[in-house]
Amino acid sequence: MNETQQMLEDSVNRLFGDRLGWDQLTAIEEHGFPTALWQEAVEQGITKVLASEAAGGMGVGWYDAYPVLRAAGRHAVPLPVAEAAIAEWLAGQAGVELPEGVPGLLPATLGPAQLTAAGLRLDSVRTPWGRNADYLVGVAETGTGAELVVASPKGLAIASEDNIGRDPRDSLTGTAALIARQALPQPADSVRWLGALARSAQIAGAGAAALDLALKYSSERSQFGKPLSGFQAIQHYLADLAGLVASVDAITMAACAGLDQRGMAPSGRNARFEIAAAKCRASEAVEKLTRLSHQCHGAIGFTYEYGLHFLTRRLWAWRAEFGGAGEWGEYLGRIAAEVGGDGIWPAITA
Amino acid sequence: MTSVADKLRFEPSPLPAHLETLRTEVRAFLKEALADVPVVTRSHSWEAYDAEFSAKLGARGWLGMTLPKEYGGHGRSAFERYVVVEECLVAGAPTGFHWVADRQSGPLLLRYGNEAQKREILPKIAAGRACFAIGMSEPNSGSDLASLRTRAERTATGWRVNGTKIWTSNAHRANYMIALFRTDPDPNKKHAGLSQFLIDLSKTRGITPRPIKNLQGGRNFNEVAFVDAELPPDALIGTEGQGWRQVTEELAFERSGPERYLSCFFLLRKLIDQVRDRASPATLARIGTQVAWAATLRTMSLSIAAKLNAGQDPALEASVVKDLGCQWEQALPGLAQELCELEPTLEGFGTEYQQVLGSLVQVAPSFSLRGGTPEIMRGIIAKGLGVR
Ligand SMILES: Cc1cc2nc3c(=O)[nH]c(=O)nc-3n(C[C@H](O)[C@H](O)[C@H](O)COP(=O)(O)OP(=O)(O)OC[C@H]3O[C@@H](n4cnc5c(N)ncnc54)[C@H](O)[C@@H]3O)c2cc1C
Repeated sequence: MNETQQMLEDSVNRLFGDRLGWDQLTAIEEHGFPTALWQEAVEQGITKVLASEAAGGMGVGWYDAYPVLRAAGRHAVPLPVAEAAIAEWLAGQAGVELPEGVPGLLPATLGPAQLTAAGLRLDSVRTPWGRNADYLVGVAETGTGAELVVASPKGLAIASEDNIGRDPRDSLTGTAALIARQALPQPADSVRWLGALARSAQIAGAGAAALDLALKYSSERSQFGKPLSGFQAIQHYLADLAGLVASVDAITMAACAGLDQRGMAPSGRNARFEIAAAKCRASEAVEKLTRLSHQCHGAIGFTYEYGLHFLTRRLWAWRAEFGGAGEWGEYLGRIAAEVGGDGIWPAITA
Repeated sequence: MTSVADKLRFEPSPLPAHLETLRTEVRAFLKEALADVPVVTRSHSWEAYDAEFSAKLGARGWLGMTLPKEYGGHGRSAFERYVVVEECLVAGAPTGFHWVADRQSGPLLLRYGNEAQKREILPKIAAGRACFAIGMSEPNSGSDLASLRTRAERTATGWRVNGTKIWTSNAHRANYMIALFRTDPDPNKKHAGLSQFLIDLSKTRGITPRPIKNLQGGRNFNEVAFVDAELPPDALIGTEGQGWRQVTEELAFERSGPERYLSCFFLLRKLIDQVRDRASPATLARIGTQVAWAATLRTMSLSIAAKLNAGQDPALEASVVKDLGCQWEQALPGLAQELCELEPTLEGFGTEYQQVLGSLVQVAPSFSLRGGTPEIMRGIIAKGLGVR
């Protein structure tokens, strides 16, 4: 870890570690958006980690910012921290300054027909924290290139829904007044790629936290006169979990570093390969990460009170969000089919 | 607040860009050198024994690369060696002759061998003219290696060895063996009673290898009987009683390389060619998932290479990659069969693809045995996590 990463890691772990115990997470699930905590995250610069320096950010890249994205998973953070990072980074690329407040990141690429004189037309667009959003941000394909679009959610119809992690995923319908639109020197499908990268980091984080809980619980709980962690079967589950977490962590870090170095423009050797590999591995890993961490816990892990579910329910949701293993696998499979057996290794090593 | 997962960080360590020139050279060389080697033979990769090929590789300066020049090596970095090794594996080059020598015996002798041994043997390794066998396992000591019983006793003229090794790859045709023997029979010194020895197989009497036919019909590994085999005093490598520590270091080399996930890559290449023109989206997704695995394991493996190069000890990380790599590649032959619905065949029957499949389906069980089993790897990882 470099110095920037260590500094970010310490500050997010301090904030979320202190403020997101199981009691607080339960309260947030009951009472909704934790405005005070969001405010603190804003004040500490966490929401602006990927903003340009001009916009009051740190001007670091994805690799340096990785600890923040991972911490959003590790602490089951019920805030759009990853979404804010993506929105700020895109705004920096377009040279747009975002409004104050909570971002509503529009996950799908916007089509030219959606951008009208009256504003941005949305038809049931499922948006993380849509009900809490102070502004919407998305990327449109205009026909001549990509544009960053910032719009106001005022007056939109909101169909509220939570994902199984109990984080808001609300469907927005209506015409959103435009606040800004600006040419974006990034691909029009950027949000999907960056969303996949961010969710991979969150899966790595939540997986690490689930491993920590499994390790702690199995060392404390005794059966047959010894701690569960003394049984080889349980030790092997823990080892398996650790290896899986490390593998998701590794490929996601590599994808972040790749994105900083080569970008994601669809032509040439870009970071799409690593991002697809990261989300494919991360989504695939969720099955075992959740199964084994629950197995180490027995019935207690199945209770609401114990709270392993704050992590595992998010893992199940994130597995699908921004594309699952099948979709990203297919992307890589198409590359393989295109370059053939002789070309696949050069593609991996390029 | 730290997570136990922080103990297992695989920082991205991309290879320095200048190595791409070397990679291009190696690829060109392999393309030519392997042009006439049958595809089925190539799928055997590091089982395939071809002294001539190894000598050619040595002549290009691609063996013993990290050994110092004064011992015939090339003083190059671990990364340069990494590039050569991964290219050889992916191409299905027959590396069986030089494999062990280049990977572990050379570095071991460099660290613990005496001056005469280094002067005599290291240049041969770098030239691709020394084949080494590893004498660790015994009939009653597999995973529990430290329980081994083959005895080396001090005599007036050196050492006398009695006992039996087993599964010793290439012992029937190797030039040298590096073996672990018991030098102190005190039952309280299970680990402390072990020492490592260098054996010149062409000069030592009383050693009888008996090839053991494997399930495929091949004869690579052996049972090796030692009956009053006399070794010179300087056959002892390093320090008497330090054999266990030395072997553990040696196994770190054995467990950390790209071979830990690339034994089957040749099959993945053939599978892609087999399905590329008619693959359904579901099949493409299965193929792409394998590509994602390969990219992930390579990232992890490179990160270990960087740690080794920086003088750190990534034993824990190496166990993780060996365990994950083995899980992945052991499942590949089954997948390659399922996606094509073709029967694996014996050499000489069916299509080329069916023969490659037939060969790898049969060797796959050995992936989780060589160099330590997943059960043992997971024990090491659990210890690293603090629960053992
Ligand atoms: C192709 C091939 C080449 C080889 N080449 C060499 C060589 O050149 N030199 C050499 O010295 N050896 C060689 N070996 C031997 C190899 O290192 C051993 O097979 C390996 O260490 C396992 O030992 P074993 O076969 O005696 O199995 P065992 O140790 O008897 O194990 C059998 C099963 O029990 C499991 N088991 C054992 N102990 C435990 C435990 N404590 N907890 C849980 N499960 C356990 C194992 O994981 C395994 O699944 C080779 C093996 C193969 C297959």
